[in-house]
Amino acid sequence: MSPSDPAAAETVDVGRPAPARASPGRSGPARSSRNRPSAGRHTLALFRSELHLVFGRARTWVLLAVLAAVPVMIGVAIRLSGSEGDAEGFIGQVAGNGFFLIVASLAVSLPFFLPTAVTVISGESLAGESSLGTFRNLLTAPAGRSRLLAAKMVSLAVFCLVATMVIWLSGLIAGFLLFPVGDVLLLSGTTVPLGDGLVRALGIAVLIGLSMLGLAGIGLFVSSLTSTPLAAMAATFGSFIVCGILSAIPQIDVIHPWLLMYGWPSFADLLRDPPYWDAIWRNLLLQAGYLAVFYAAAWARITSRDING
Amino acid sequence: MGVAQRSRRWLVPVTAVAVVAGVGTLGPVVADASPNLPGITAQELLTKVQTAKVDGLSGTVRSAADLGLPALPGVEGGSQIPDLLTGEHTARVAFAAPDKARVAVLDNMAERVWTTDGKTAWAYDSAEREAVKLTLPARAHRPAGPELKPESYNPATVAKQFLDAIDPTTQVEVSGTDKVAGRDAYMLRLVPKTDKSTVGSVTLAIDSKNWVPLEVTVMPRTGKDPAAQLGFSSVSFGIPATSTFTFTPPKGVKVTEKSVPAVRQAPTPVKPPKAVTPKRPAQNAGDKPTVIGEGWESVVAFRDLDVPRSGPVGQLLANARTVEGSWGKGKILTSKMVNALITDDGRVLVGLVSPDTLVAAAPKAPR
Repeated sequence: MSPSDPAAAETVDVGRPAPARASPGRSGPARSSRNRPSAGRHTLALFRSELHLVFGRARTWVLLAVLAAVPVMIGVAIRLSGSEGDAEGFIGQVAGNGFFLIVASLAVSLPFFLPTAVTVISGESLAGESSLGTFRNLLTAPAGRSRLLAAKMVSLAVFCLVATMVIWLSGLIAGFLLFPVGDVLLLSGTTVPLGDGLVRALGIAVLIGLSMLGLAGIGLFVSSLTSTPLAAMAATFGSFIVCGILSAIPQIDVIHPWLLMYGWPSFADLLRDPPYWDAIWRNLLLQAGYLAVFYAAAWARITSRDING
Repeated sequence: MGVAQRSRRWLVPVTAVAVVAGVGTLGPVVADASPNLPGITAQELLTKVQTAKVDGLSGTVRSAADLGLPALPGVEGGSQIPDLLTGEHTARVAFAAPDKARVAVLDNMAERVWTTDGKTAWAYDSAEREAVKLTLPARAHRPAGPELKPESYNPATVAKQFLDAIDPTTQVEVSGTDKVAGRDAYMLRLVPKTDKSTVGSVTLAIDSKNWVPLEVTVMPRTGKDPAAQLGFSSVSFGIPATSTFTFTPPKGVKVTEKSVPAVRQAPTPVKPPKAVTPKRPAQNAGDKPTVIGEGWESVVAFRDLDVPRSGPVGQLLANARTVEGSWGKGKILTSKMVNALITDDGRVLVGLVSPDTLVAAAPKAPR
């Protein structure tokens, strides 16, 4: 392991315009491992530059805009059709209480929109660097690889949470504008004040955001295998689809509890009185399991990767 | 960095897979090591169970059933089999002596609630957003709780029903100890003495302090997986607050009011499936199902049933094994637990017995 030459660190700046300001942080620890005291600050700078990279892209904002449009579209559709809640479930309650637009939108986004967004962002994360030619430069600083991966993962997690928060906020605004809003009827038949309901909806948004972490981990690993972002996205989404198909086959229900999306509907347990935590914890554990396995695999791939490859 | 050193890094994700899989599969097993409890005979245990008295409890009940019933895709009106008999369910239960009970079945993004405070009973379905209010007749010592629909969720009731059925046909033994819902429990195993039944054994987990059945497991004669299991996943024996059993109909929920007549009729024992309607108008007593045999070998016989010969049921019948005898001819439908004989003259024999037993019972079934 030879220390990287400063020239390589310089090229990082050229290839990555957005995080240019933070680049000294990226190359700093690699240049001298004795430079400990400022390592924390450098790490922070690296994480910040990654966030800049993710949220500096136009496609991220387009994805977020699409997600923000989900509650608006559902709300307008229900408002125009003017149905008095014949539909079952959360959608049927929207007309009576705008609060349920938040929950319904989150529930509608969960099986498809959110996984798509997460797939796009995670597929891009490492493969994008490779395709831009910046990855080689990043990899010439071996000490920074683990940290780089951590920064990628953290920015992915932040994106997952921001995405669900956007739906929550958009649902809140659209729900308040389009429908009457009042006390919230829980699944158990009890009614809680609106504030309590909004906190529960916020919890649902966080839970659904965390539910995406397993998929984000898969995406990160796949992204470390290839230098073509599109291939990484396709492969990640492909594995997501395969998981979905497997979970629809009743003959193999033995493996269903191990599938990525098995625990996703557990978010609704927050709307019981009292909330039923069992399934929620199991889902979070499963996501943590997926994340641990695929993050470790991505780490092994990144740190053992041939620099010229 | 050498190649060997690099490839060694792949051990980390491999270890991660092993740890995750290990925690996921072995974790619950390790946590549930069987406790050391003083020895007890089956007789003592049974007595304690039958005299067990609990003033209140609350907890979470899980049920799982795999009766191996054939799937009938496209059958109208959803499942004819009560849905609690199939698949997995989770319910929250609460009970307070003498007549307060609440059961909430946690469905996927929905909930069905039955609750009674002794005077009124409520049924609420969150998916339909409909509530039914039942005004119960005023009676001093009416055991309202277990007689309502919730009974199928109360392991105590289910176990009692099994215990009532114990007679010389059954071998009863204490088969060991186990931890159920975090509590030390004795396992009471009932094994049918006959080999004509499809039931291999019925095991009750009985709490070692309160003597309340915590879990019921039905094992088929063949195979290692339970055919049905119903038990607490968590339980506490404190008396739940009175407010637990009250129900206030929320705004926007349709409420239907009904009242229960003071003199209640005995519940009909076994109802024929809805799609299978009687061919001729029901006679006063003639259309009640007949029970042939005793104990584990019981067979229920229906007659004059119009079994559809087309559609999914017809397909199922077409593929079924044909049997014949002096009684006539018919088709045998088999599954892991339940077997049925459908004769060409419209009789249906159903039981938790082997197909041969059904055939043997066929001559006794009234035409």
